[in-house]
Amino acid sequence: MTARLQPVAAAAIGVFGFSMLATGTTLGSGFTGAFTPRFGVDGLTAFFLGVLGLVTAPTLAFATRYLEPGRRGRITSVLTGVFVLVLAEVVCARDPLTFLAGWELMTLLPAAIILVSRSDDEARRTVFLYLAITHLAGAFTWVAVLLAAHAGALDSTGAVAQGSGLQIAIALTALVGMGTKAGVMPMHSWLPRAHPIAPAPVSALMSGVMIKVAIYGLVRVLVDWLGPLPLSVGILVLALGALSAVGGVVYALFQHDLKRLLAFHSIENIGIIVLGLGACLVLRSRGDETWAAIALAAALLHTLNHAVFKALLFLGAGAFERATGTVEIDRLGGLLRRLPWTGGAFLVGSLAIAGLPPFNGFASEWVTLQALLHVPAAGHLGDGVAGALALAALAATAALAVLCFVKVTGLVLLGPPRSEAVAAATERPLPMRAAVVSLAGACVVLGVAPGLLLGSLVSLAPWPAALPTAIGLHLPGTGSLPTLGIALVLVAVTGVLVVARGRRAAAPAPTWASGQLVEPSLLWTSAGFTKPLRLVLAGVLRPERTIEVRATRGVVQEVAYSGRVPQHLDEQLLAPAVRVALRGAAHARRLQTGHLGTYVAYLIALVLVLLTAAKVGLIG
Amino acid sequence: MNALSLALQLVGGLALAPLLPGLVQYWKARLQGRRGPTPLQPYRELRRLWGKSSVDVEGAGIVYRLAPAVTAASLVLAVLIVPVASGAPSLGAGRDALALLGVLALGRFAVTAASWDVANGFALQGASRDLTIAIFTDATFVLSVAVAALVAHTTNLATIVAGTAGSAVWSSPSLALGAVAFLLVVVAETGRQPIDNPDTHLELTMIHEGPLLEYAGRDLALLQWSAAARHWVVLVLAAQIFLPHTPGVWAQLAALPVRLAILCAGLALLETFTAKIRILLAPRLLAVGAAAALLGVVSWLVQIT
Repeated sequence: MTARLQPVAAAAIGVFGFSMLATGTTLGSGFTGAFTPRFGVDGLTAFFLGVLGLVTAPTLAFATRYLEPGRRGRITSVLTGVFVLVLAEVVCARDPLTFLAGWELMTLLPAAIILVSRSDDEARRTVFLYLAITHLAGAFTWVAVLLAAHAGALDSTGAVAQGSGLQIAIALTALVGMGTKAGVMPMHSWLPRAHPIAPAPVSALMSGVMIKVAIYGLVRVLVDWLGPLPLSVGILVLALGALSAVGGVVYALFQHDLKRLLAFHSIENIGIIVLGLGACLVLRSRGDETWAAIALAAALLHTLNHAVFKALLFLGAGAFERATGTVEIDRLGGLLRRLPWTGGAFLVGSLAIAGLPPFNGFASEWVTLQALLHVPAAGHLGDGVAGALALAALAATAALAVLCFVKVTGLVLLGPPRSEAVAAATERPLPMRAAVVSLAGACVVLGVAPGLLLGSLVSLAPWPAALPTAIGLHLPGTGSLPTLGIALVLVAVTGVLVVARGRRAAAPAPTWASGQLVEPSLLWTSAGFTKPLRLVLAGVLRPERTIEVRATRGVVQEVAYSGRVPQHLDEQLLAPAVRVALRGAAHARRLQTGHLGTYVAYLIALVLVLLTAAKVGLIG
Repeated sequence: MNALSLALQLVGGLALAPLLPGLVQYWKARLQGRRGPTPLQPYRELRRLWGKSSVDVEGAGIVYRLAPAVTAASLVLAVLIVPVASGAPSLGAGRDALALLGVLALGRFAVTAASWDVANGFALQGASRDLTIAIFTDATFVLSVAVAALVAHTTNLATIVAGTAGSAVWSSPSLALGAVAFLLVVVAETGRQPIDNPDTHLELTMIHEGPLLEYAGRDLALLQWSAAARHWVVLVLAAQIFLPHTPGVWAQLAALPVRLAILCAGLALLETFTAKIRILLAPRLLAVGAAAALLGVVSWLVQIT
């Protein structure tokens, strides 16, 4: 019963958030640096509550049929509900203590959910790594928020002087701490490990909402609390965004596990959001406040869009997993025919994440491109070149996402089924279908009428900025993107051409394979489709492959091929850090002898040190 | 005047587009000492294909069936976006240069998804190469368009045509560098040598032709028209932005056919004198273009600071 009420409550949160955003009212108290619990809702919070509700309601509805009915399922369901509440608490918190407490709970709850739903060794190791990375980085979040609170930046904007060391220190610690939580490269290592092993609805919440709450934190600190930042911070944010966008999608291309692939795409989309944020910071420090506000709106619009289509894709992956028993993309196929509703919605999500018209990803990527183009248009050499490079990186990212998602669509939804279980797959029950279809509907609506939202997002900037509300995107200095017109042209022309083509098919014939019979072993795989790119980028990616040929008396019996694309950032950055940490821990363990006498000696030594310090006058 | 540019844009984009690849083939045959087909050959092929029945592939679904129509629709949209002259009114699809990126990608997505649907290895081979090269084409496209947009202070294509008119903008090398980059975009988007060979009939070397293998009849006609329309879109952009042009709208409209013919002749000349390069080298070639466009941005920034 409670599980059925969860989606209704989540939908109420969403409606509340978007109506607050539309009316522009605030509720509760404002931010304060004092350590007393306070809550409030302003425009930015309202927007993130809207995102939370829009994504969570279908996800929780999906979960009612996805989770097994047993005890594990019930505990997971309850913890998921608490997780959603904690996410809402973080964006509503108005003092450092509540914010940081929620921030930590937001990290811990998914770990608990993963451990409830899976208790194998691999899951436990992954959860440990996830907690280790996010907590070490979480320390930087604490430093950033407490420093800002101490300096009084929470109480009044402009409390931290522009260009001061304190301002840069807060910005950098926030970037490390919150950037890790958002999955910004090179602090992303936990994300592609932790997201895939959670149950599908929780993966959808983690990718759809949790990492967006980290973006909320970044916007709050970098745009709201700190005031105009020095140019260098903006350029650093642009660079991080470009690295995440390109790096995320490139590594996504070489994943064979659908959920892991989607997790890497979250890194890519976080990169696109961070690119918008970086453009905002650079343009703001250059004094172009109109376009800085549009860049911020672009980042927020992409935040919403990514939340919607990524939740849709994760839920779709969960539905496919339940229908076929696997998420290995090379073993699926033909699911569009077998699961027309879920498959159709998944196709819409794929088109949206690939940034294709008339869906929502296209609209927000277009605004982000425009914002990045305005960085060089401001006419300064250094940041101009950075902006142009980021622009090219985003264009390449969009093309890479097309390559990746046409592959996913092809391997999962189209072509012949690649195993018996897939051939026998059937459509999922109504709540699961309704969840993905409603998210697909949101992709269409946000793609056709993004202008209705963009105006309110522009006015979220803490400096005065406004944009007339329209259905399409009409920005100054652009050729404008009448999204409704584009959608109508596409649909109308396609319809006319389909009618004109008519049904004149002769008898069907098998596909052409140089006259051979098409056998399952001839079907293309993910590795084959991405081979041109792997070869082109071989210098950067350094793919590894081994071919073993077993021959007896000159006759080849068996050829075994295996290839992989190693994660260089993990191997060069994370692995040494882990080694050093483990070595340090081994030394620290020597302090723990287990003898009572040693501990008493520690206490006496501590008292002596403190007394000496007091005597000398260091303390007290 | 507006009515004329409107008419030229619609009629030109929809009806005259097949003339462009026809012209390239005609010039190429002449340059190679052959008589060759007339420039009207693409129309004959379209007529022949429209009258033929098509053979569906066993087991193919709705994506395979919709792909030609979606591809053609995306190209119609691109034709509506690209203006033939500076004063051309908007046709309800906007006039934005950066919107073209997603619109052209939609066609590629549709055709590649159809290749997956029929599970044809040759089609997928061509499609995977096409999409790999498109990554670098898109980056080069965006940077070269950025040069023009910076010079004209807008991404509105009709205003860009006006903003890059005259000789004053050519006093700095930025637009010239953008033109070099855009030339490579033209070659890649139209599937011409040295990046792709439109005359190939060997499955293993196909790029753009590969995904069309399983289509026949009206479907193939739509896809061939789409390829011609892609010629129209990039060649009109090249002619009206990256070739020196006059500010007068009448002169722009009058000169457009001549410019398009010259560009087609240029493509024919390029196809005659260069061989197709290895597929893995094509991204490098396009990266050179992207670097040229980036230099164009830098020189514009240096000029105004």
